[in-house]
Amino acid sequence: MPSSPVVHVIDDDSAVRQSLAFLLSTAGYAVRVHESAIAFLSALPAIQDGCVVTDIRMPGMDGLELQRQLQARKASLPVIVMTGHGDVALAVQAMKAGAVDFIEKPFDDDVLLAAIRAALARHRQDAERAALIADVDRRMNSLSHRERDVLLGLVAGKPNKAIAHDLGISARTVEVYRANVMTKMHADSLSDLVRMAILSGVGQ
Amino acid sequence: MKPMTATPPQPRNDGGQTAALEAAEARLQSILQTVPDGMIIIDARGRIESLSATAERLFGYMTREVVGRNISLFMPMPHREQHDSYLERYLASGEPRIIGIGRVVAGRRKNGTTFPMHLTVGEFRFSGGRYFTGFIRDLTDQQMTEARLRELQSEVTHMSRFTALGEMASTLAHEINQPLTAIANYLKGCRRLLERMADDQAAVLRDAVDKAADQALRAGNIIRRLREFVARGESERRVESLPKLIEDAGTLALIGARENDIAVSFDLDPRADLVLADRVQIQQVLVNLIRNAIDVLSEGGPRRELGITTRTLGNNMVEVSVADTGSGIAPQVMTQLFQPFVTTKSKGMGLGLSICRTIVEAHGGKISANPRAGGGTIFRFTLRVAKREEQSLAQ
Repeated sequence: MPSSPVVHVIDDDSAVRQSLAFLLSTAGYAVRVHESAIAFLSALPAIQDGCVVTDIRMPGMDGLELQRQLQARKASLPVIVMTGHGDVALAVQAMKAGAVDFIEKPFDDDVLLAAIRAALARHRQDAERAALIADVDRRMNSLSHRERDVLLGLVAGKPNKAIAHDLGISARTVEVYRANVMTKMHADSLSDLVRMAILSGVGQ
Repeated sequence: MKPMTATPPQPRNDGGQTAALEAAEARLQSILQTVPDGMIIIDARGRIESLSATAERLFGYMTREVVGRNISLFMPMPHREQHDSYLERYLASGEPRIIGIGRVVAGRRKNGTTFPMHLTVGEFRFSGGRYFTGFIRDLTDQQMTEARLRELQSEVTHMSRFTALGEMASTLAHEINQPLTAIANYLKGCRRLLERMADDQAAVLRDAVDKAADQALRAGNIIRRLREFVARGESERRVESLPKLIEDAGTLALIGARENDIAVSFDLDPRADLVLADRVQIQQVLVNLIRNAIDVLSEGGPRRELGITTRTLGNNMVEVSVADTGSGIAPQVMTQLFQPFVTTKSKGMGLGLSICRTIVEAHGGKISANPRAGGGTIFRFTLRVAKREEQSLAQ
């Protein structure tokens, strides 16, 4: 049962907010309720992880504008949009604006929970990938200029001799740089190194 | 087709006035040829003396066919039979019923058809005889315009009733959906808790709670279907000329504005021309906004100005604004202006602006209200420009 990620519920109707908090807590989720998009945004700096379940039509800031604001702040929280209007056009706009799902009120709990599970799983994968990329980038930045040149040669599939020729250094020196690159990048094998390079977008 | 007079009344005293008479005759001929209204002169017994060129055209007779015949020839029943008695009554009593008053009557053409006309009658005396001059203005075009206006009006009225119904259903759906959502959530949550209880009764409760939640969802489905039913086939978008839409809506909405001393100005951007819109719906939006502006301006105030403006925006949109110099909108009302059932009018349902928002948003636009610099309010809404290929389709 998932425990750590928080589901943020935003709805201007308090009965809907509270009932959702109750339902989601019985399903094992930690829940925080927000009475408006603006209230949620002001709490955003303290929010680390989780997903957002928001109504689309609200006074003040609506669900679409909230999505825009989240993107502007580079907040990667997945957003599930609830619509009480059966308004397909609005829901389509929400999906285009990056909502991961939309559900029509009133909804079956299984539909909502499945949407939340999928959103969190995707978010977790995205987060893991983002963390991995950050890690690889950090290692990549620790490489010296020459080590980086050698790495580029390796990723391009060149043998040591060709790299040595390109860089105007001896094959023996390339071997030393190559060993340094493997160590600094924590790479177990050449294929591991190439995978990391692709991940961080080097050599493309 | 040269109109001519019948033998002019002969003066008794044939002095040196022949030249003057000829001059007068020439003047009369020139008037009969050129006067834009139909003009007919009859004598005291109702006999036709002369017709103007326009009168010949209006009634389909040549002057020579009708000179000396009774003027009732040009009238449909019942005036046709009674005109002689009208004349006799006037000559006896001197009490005018139409002379110097003017009224709208029907005229009868040679082919028997009738047409609406405005008739003004004047009287003159000459050489002891009494003569009457009738001036006739054909109202056919004017009445057609009015009929078209009425048709337009009834279209918009019908549409506005229809959308008012849709808006109520939609509001109802939203308002009821919220508590239904809460009910379903609570019940489903309870069922989840009951699933974890070992008690014998828990299974029974779980089943009952589950069924109750299903009923809440069923109610939600009924509302959804109701909405779909109301929304069906409501919008038919075509390439429309924005200036034409505004002109038509303005004509409808501005009836009575002149009486209230309201100065209306239009400032239309020629580049804001073709838009993709449901004509009747967008006219309804315009009529609503203009009517609201007229209402607020009619309350009084030092300035009574209504301005309708269009301009192009960068993102393939045009903006239409309706600005008034009225008393403005209170900030607390402003925030919920487009919500249904919000009104400042004693006799309003509070649906007008809510409908405007529904229509504009269904067209992919946005509607907003802001205070006008210098007092009053500006309503703005946006519409999608018709793309080039859509324009060529229209042509």
